[in-house]
Amino acid sequence: MGLLNFTREPVPEAVTGDMHNLNQLSAQQFSSLTEVLFRFLTEPKEVERFLAQLSDFATVNKISLGPLKNIVKSILLVPNGALKRNLSSEQVRADFIALGLSEEKATYFAEQWKANSPTLTRLAVGQTLMINQLIDMEWKFGVTAGSSELEKVGSIFLQLKLVIKKGSQMENVYMELTLPQFYSFLHEMERIKTSLESFS
Amino acid sequence: MAALRDGEFAALQSLLKAPSKDAVRQLCQECFSSPPAGLGPLAQRACPGLTADAEEAEQLVSALHNLTRHVVYRGLTKAEDILALFPENFHQNLKNLLTKIILENISAWRNEAQASQISLPRLVDMDWRVDIKTSSDSISRMAVPTCLLQLKMQEDVALCGNSPVVSALTVELSKETLDTMLEGLGRIRDQLSAVANK
Repeated sequence: MGLLNFTREPVPEAVTGDMHNLNQLSAQQFSSLTEVLFRFLTEPKEVERFLAQLSDFATVNKISLGPLKNIVKSILLVPNGALKRNLSSEQVRADFIALGLSEEKATYFAEQWKANSPTLTRLAVGQTLMINQLIDMEWKFGVTAGSSELEKVGSIFLQLKLVIKKGSQMENVYMELTLPQFYSFLHEMERIKTSLESFS
Repeated sequence: MAALRDGEFAALQSLLKAPSKDAVRQLCQECFSSPPAGLGPLAQRACPGLTADAEEAEQLVSALHNLTRHVVYRGLTKAEDILALFPENFHQNLKNLLTKIILENISAWRNEAQASQISLPRLVDMDWRVDIKTSSDSISRMAVPTCLLQLKMQEDVALCGNSPVVSALTVELSKETLDTMLEGLGRIRDQLSAVANK
């Protein structure tokens, strides 16, 4: 096997056998299996659904579930590596061929890959590390009526609650702003938005 | 509610021994700004020439503190209202001097009281930077702008005294989060204008 695009590490031995088994599927069967796989890749949280669909596929096509799962594991190696390395669809196709998949099926898979790659890329970017990510913001504002030092106050206050993800936990941060502070905060936020937009 | 008890007004008479009007002015300001706990040390420091003993000094400082705070609490702004606080037989010139000093300082004192109100941690400063993420372990090439926002917050002023505790929080915002946040802030601004225009 020549150099592969999607990985630098040696591929497990079982993969060649799994590709061979895949070649035995009809075009129709390969197409529905690919559909199940991409639905999972674009919605990685839907594990239960994915397993149910695999199980249905196995039953309908009279394949045992165990071997099917191994085949699926082997296939998924390629798109996962391809995503990390920003591979083109030609490179994905070449890799599948190098692994032993038929040209026809490799081409089909690579086309599906190309169609789904914007969604998949967006997902991968979304998984990128974020430090103290701001999850949510709640606010209230009101009027201070009086205090222990001033019988009548009548000033406006704004309170913000920021929900921050610190590692795996959520932390709530509370703060208060005066009206002038709020306006400068808003002004700064708008400047940030302009800056972010100019880089998008 | 009377501003001061009778004995307290008597204590104010010690001010007649003050070296100058400025000295009285200075003392009034210090007595207003001091928290009740700080009055003792203030009495020792500021009153040696004015009073016979430590006890009298404390009474003077306490009376001035209560008087100035009472005026600020009630939001009195007119000379007549302040003059009316003093008892009938109070020394005329001293009464006028104190009223004048209070009127001069009233709005600064009011701001001071408002600034030292209890509150949630206050936003004192805000800095930001925009980064472009070019690579990560989940995807080797990308160009995603992201924002880092640093918020500096100060804990309740009353709790910190002279050494305010400022904590900094750095938060990361994606473009989507920023857009949502701006939407929320825009709504606040609209509601504020609606309230202001009523």
